[in-house]
Amino acid sequence: MKKLIVAATALTLLAPGIVTAKELVFSSWGGAYQEAIRKAWIQPFTKESGIKVEEDTGPETAKIKAMVDTKSVTWDVVTAGGGGLMRGVRQGLFEKITPEMVNTDHVIPGARNDYGVASEIFSTLVGFSTKAFPASGAQPKSFADFWDVAKFPGKRTLPDKPETVVEAALLADGVPMADIYKTLSTEAGLKRSLDKIRALKPQVAVWWASGAQPVQALGSGEVVMALGWNGRFQAGIESKLPIAMAWDQQIPQVGFFMIPKGAPNKAEAVAFLNYIAKPENNARLSEYVAYGPTSEKALAGIPAARMETLPSTPDRLKNALFLDIEWWADNGAKVTEAYTAMLKE
Amino acid sequence: MARPAKAGRGFPVWLGLAPFGLVLVVLFAVPVLSLLKLAFGEGGFTLVHFHRMIDVPVYRSVLGTTLGIAGLVTVLAVLASYPLAYVMATVGPRARSLLMLLVLLPFWTSALVRTTAWIILLQSNGVVNALLMGSGLTTTPTAFIYNLSGVLIGMTHVLMPFIVLPLYAAFSNLELSTVQAAESLGAGPITVFRRIILPLTAPGVVAGGMIVFMNAIGFYLTPALMGGPGQTMIAQMIASNINTELNWPFAAALATVLLVATVTMLALFQRFFGLERLIEGGGGKAGEPFTVTSRGRSPGGWAAIVAACLVGAFLIAPIIIVFPMSLGSSPFLAFPPDSYSLTWYENFFGTTKWVAALTRSLQIAGLVVAISVVLGTLAALGVARMRPRWRSTVETIFILPMIVPVIILAVGLYYLLAPTGLVGSIWGVTLGHVVLATPYVFITVRAALKSFDGNLEFAALGLGASWATMFRRVMLPSIAPGIAAGAVFAFITSFDDVIIALFLTNIRSRTLPKLMYEGVAHEIDPTIIAASCLIILVTVLVLGGNLLLTKRKTT
Repeated sequence: MKKLIVAATALTLLAPGIVTAKELVFSSWGGAYQEAIRKAWIQPFTKESGIKVEEDTGPETAKIKAMVDTKSVTWDVVTAGGGGLMRGVRQGLFEKITPEMVNTDHVIPGARNDYGVASEIFSTLVGFSTKAFPASGAQPKSFADFWDVAKFPGKRTLPDKPETVVEAALLADGVPMADIYKTLSTEAGLKRSLDKIRALKPQVAVWWASGAQPVQALGSGEVVMALGWNGRFQAGIESKLPIAMAWDQQIPQVGFFMIPKGAPNKAEAVAFLNYIAKPENNARLSEYVAYGPTSEKALAGIPAARMETLPSTPDRLKNALFLDIEWWADNGAKVTEAYTAMLKE
Repeated sequence: MARPAKAGRGFPVWLGLAPFGLVLVVLFAVPVLSLLKLAFGEGGFTLVHFHRMIDVPVYRSVLGTTLGIAGLVTVLAVLASYPLAYVMATVGPRARSLLMLLVLLPFWTSALVRTTAWIILLQSNGVVNALLMGSGLTTTPTAFIYNLSGVLIGMTHVLMPFIVLPLYAAFSNLELSTVQAAESLGAGPITVFRRIILPLTAPGVVAGGMIVFMNAIGFYLTPALMGGPGQTMIAQMIASNINTELNWPFAAALATVLLVATVTMLALFQRFFGLERLIEGGGGKAGEPFTVTSRGRSPGGWAAIVAACLVGAFLIAPIIIVFPMSLGSSPFLAFPPDSYSLTWYENFFGTTKWVAALTRSLQIAGLVVAISVVLGTLAALGVARMRPRWRSTVETIFILPMIVPVIILAVGLYYLLAPTGLVGSIWGVTLGHVVLATPYVFITVRAALKSFDGNLEFAALGLGASWATMFRRVMLPSIAPGIAAGAVFAFITSFDDVIIALFLTNIRSRTLPKLMYEGVAHEIDPTIIAASCLIILVTVLVLGGNLLLTKRKTT
């Protein structure tokens, strides 16, 4: 009996040495988004590489910072939008990703970053109620139409945060795309944008805080036009809500995958990032959510019907102003203060 | 009113104060101060973050808004609670238990579900506006939400139970003969209320009001979803500076100012309104409990009943519409749904994650209740026997966890617990919840002890009972409702928390609220509504069944 126990103990002690299953821990925002990533990327990646992917949720930038500071990083790959990426970079939370680690030459230039691999592209644009503006009459096409309450009467909803709104206001006011951030960097330019938004305030029924709200508000008839995310509008359309999108003008944003500094399985993380960056793999996410691929090479693999719903087609990218995440990292705090003050007036 | 005991007889003050005091030092003061000190600079000393707060007017205005909304919500919740608590104290035990169930129902739904239900009810073409316009009372839709009224409705709804419970406890301690005497001497309902009920229920109201006020200060989900830009609250700004901006020094500065402002307000309130004196008025419970007088209800009593019905309808309205909503088939919620299905219930039971998270939440909440009831009751006993000179200081310290924004505690605890390996286990999140929950038990038991007649204690001790026997046979039965209310609050504090769980759990230890909030920036998964309905159903069945099966003797 005693021998048996000794043998069993020895076996258990040896076990980790024998089984060298590689694995990594991936953390994202849960819900339908993480489910899409699981089906499009995680499962086929594990099949191909033999690397097991353990999932976690809630990669708040603050939690990543706490992990890095206390040297208790348990995540190998995390996801974030541009804002989270840049603020994390400023605090030194992420590993630099060199071209030797992951080749991103084929990625759309506006979506490249030294500290993150672009996973998908989504977009802020005008969504409107087809009940209020049916295809038989005039339909809104641009940010200028969003501000045109004479031509398109009815209540609007806008984000309660300034990202994309201050840009859209200047575009609506006739500032050329190339000059938007130059203009916003001046006192007068920022004031011009805020004045434009202030003028629309009486028509704004809801300042939304979560991405589901604009769709809900369009569906219920609370508003007739919304500045919101294409993936959310698309989900509404697929649930038969009377919604359409104005694709002629958009502000695309990029989703990123990053490696936190001190990640325990860095080599496996790099392998995973390489996997999602490959155009043929990258295209697969669009099967599950209405987010666009980050490389034009990936478009070949996407059916035409799906393409209709995605922001990163060559045509649509021509009228796209990519959110400048560096600019926001530098100016975010100041602009948010001014925006909140304007809203509170 | 308990007097400090003579040495050697009874319960030592240190035994009451030490356990929770120790928990506060290790699991609250250390983590919170280590974060708050960032407000004064990470390297050398600086006041630059405080200067920014003064220079940019929006921060002052948000602080003002926060205190204003918290004050309004407290007043509204007190006003709405009186009739309900009165009715609860004067009906039969079964009706009372039903009312208790009603009051607590909003607690069992997640904040996300509650606000969604309110929005569906109150939006411009929502249920309430359809009723108002259909009946010809109004001709255009009334703007109930996305403004101040939306915030007040949403916050009062969920915070009201914190006043109703202690107020009910105060009412049930009232003595019938006092009211009868006043009535026989010709006092009308208003005089009875003002001269007798108000002073005698003051401890309950003050305890509940403090809980509501401090809780309200930390709200940000409800104002963000049901309010307009004019109702941005400071907790929102603190959270976004921690989580989005990663500007922790500024978040620390905002939290420090909030803390100082709240503590100052509490101190001023105590000084000018003589909290202690107000509370000392209670006591003397030997007679028949307060109930309907022998001559039946007075006109004032009937008015209270009508008001209580309205308040009851207000409490239950969003809960009721949640059930049909959970049966809709579209992921975009509507009332009534266009078509019905069981999709969201299938989702709940079809994947293991929902049931696992619910089990985990119940497990954690159970642990939290057990620990915080002991800590909170001991602390209340200790404070009651302290010298009055330091009492209010210690009281304030013991409720500090309610005032400090939860996200500050959550981040601080991560740094403290990461080296111990407790992050990710259920013990990390349990410890965090104990810190948050114990002040609730402390406040409710403290209020119960204040209306406990000290003479009973002296009588029992004088007759030779040991302190322990006296506690068990005399004091405990009297303060049991207070302990029970505290336990309920502790349970809810744990069961509803997202922020501590966000930082201290992982996918294996995640709680139900954390799971509900996942992906919420993008979508509201109607499975959370089905989950809420199931929780409500189980609660109602268990408590309601208990109610019908057991004959409970009248108090």
